[in-house]
Amino acid sequence: MSIEQLSDGIFEVVTDDRKILATHNLYPGHSVYGERLMDVDGVEYRQWDPHRSKLGAMVLKGFDIPIEYDSHVLYLGAASGTTVSHVSDILTDGLVYAVEFSPRTMRDLIKLCDQRPNIIPILADANKPRSYAHIVETVDVIFQDVAQPNQAEIAALNSKYFLEDNGHLMLSIKSRSIDTVASPKKIFKDEVKKLESDFGVEFEVLQRKELDPFHEDHLGLLARMFVEDEE
Amino acid sequence: MKAVTWFGTLVISEDGNAEKCCLVEKDPEMLAEHMLLAVGNEELPAHGLDLRELAIGCGFVELEEDYDVLLREVCIRAAKRQISMTDTDDKRIIQAVEAMDDIDKAANELSERLTEWYGIYFPELELTAEPMARFVARFGSRENVPEDHDMFVRASSSMGAELSLVDEDLLRNFAASLCGIYDARKRLERYIMNNMGAVAPNLTNIAGAPLGARLISLAGGLEKLAAFPSSTVQVIGASNALFKHLRSRAPSPKHGVIFNHPLIKGSPWWQRGKMARALASKISLAVRMDAYGGKLDPSIKEKLERKVESIRKAHPEPPKKQSTKVTQPGPGRAGGRPVKKRGGQKKGGMNKGSKNTVDRSGGRPA
Repeated sequence: MSIEQLSDGIFEVVTDDRKILATHNLYPGHSVYGERLMDVDGVEYRQWDPHRSKLGAMVLKGFDIPIEYDSHVLYLGAASGTTVSHVSDILTDGLVYAVEFSPRTMRDLIKLCDQRPNIIPILADANKPRSYAHIVETVDVIFQDVAQPNQAEIAALNSKYFLEDNGHLMLSIKSRSIDTVASPKKIFKDEVKKLESDFGVEFEVLQRKELDPFHEDHLGLLARMFVEDEE
Repeated sequence: MKAVTWFGTLVISEDGNAEKCCLVEKDPEMLAEHMLLAVGNEELPAHGLDLRELAIGCGFVELEEDYDVLLREVCIRAAKRQISMTDTDDKRIIQAVEAMDDIDKAANELSERLTEWYGIYFPELELTAEPMARFVARFGSRENVPEDHDMFVRASSSMGAELSLVDEDLLRNFAASLCGIYDARKRLERYIMNNMGAVAPNLTNIAGAPLGARLISLAGGLEKLAAFPSSTVQVIGASNALFKHLRSRAPSPKHGVIFNHPLIKGSPWWQRGKMARALASKISLAVRMDAYGGKLDPSIKEKLERKVESIRKAHPEPPKKQSTKVTQPGPGRAGGRPVKKRGGQKKGGMNKGSKNTVDRSGGRPA
């Protein structure tokens, strides 16, 4: 087995017949959701299943992941922390604010936070960034994976509040949450347009790709918040 | 500008520095309480702030690392408190309803097994489900059935095999567990009956306790159910039929779980759609009163009864079957055969903006 680094903290473990996406385990000896642990030259890696993680799928789809070792990340829609655990692995010198609305899944997330010092759990509604504006600082990256009909609005609103100038927004848009019957292609087009112009924040879309075969009817989006010069 | 932050209230000058700061005591428990109380405060920052800089600037913490460690500790405490406060009455009802469903599934499976297994030794016993479990738990081998029991004659002339002591013990034990499950189901049923009146008095008055509980469970909570439009209430529990309708040309469902209400179940087929609409609208009203703190209001039920009467009066006879239409090839439709079309654009984007599982456009007049 050998290791290839794809970007900060994200690796591919190369075995004889395949490549496995993985992150360097911050809490060695423990698996979070039953994923495989792999030892390569005395360093432990955790397998990252792209079928269970939109971010994982985005890595394999060739997105330039803007998360660095020391980034501060705002993660909207943290759920039980499957993906958050990998983000936590990447951020050896950074911090992730994990916002989740459901108390049920927050229970699992808190168990994860107890093991990992760089996750800050926030039980709040991502529709109302003001309700956590006294907790979250300005961040470098926002990652959003919420299955809500107003996904673009939530992303824009949170970017306005918390994203630093020229910071990056990573977004996973689920077409089924917006309209169950319309064609996903059309929904994606509409949502991107909305994001770019409807909410008084300007974005420059850097990359957009559908996340199949890992996730059906999902679009991955990487954008940079655009700040116009005042002069 | 005044701004409430998790570590205290600050007055921030034009250039972004803290002019004045009123800090909270540096104790995680106190800070967690302050953090929760601040939600909903008018003076929460209207845009993001560089809280870390400000905290160091006003001497709350000295180093960035201290900030991280303390914030994490406080956030975990705050979230734990919020979680412990989420156990509400409607959540308990939901658990009870779902437990009952699980029990039904398990009891069904176990009683089938018992029928098969005990059938080897006493095939003439024509009991099923609960009576059977009670019988086996009580007697075990058919030789133990006393002379004055109804089954005595059948038991003494049975073609069943001999039951050894070991197997008898095993079977009785198995049957006794099954009886325990049936008992648990009855307790749950009683719990729902006794508590629905307090959780949702109006809903219980209109829909009855079991149906009301099921509606709350399917919606995911009393407030969520109250937020649904009544056309959604009408088809909750019929999501497969609803999506089939939205995607293709299948007919719209007339009723979901509210079908179990005697008003609909007990009405002739041509009145059911109308009844479903009337009932759903009153259920919506009732739930909204319950969710937002209303007391029992009998007038909702009276109005429903009046509406029901008028429906019965207006439609006493089944409508005459329309003579088979001569198919006129319309636009985009060939030979009268329903054309399946993914996307259903003809409906004009009815589904826009609705929540994922249920749809507000579902209740087309039947």
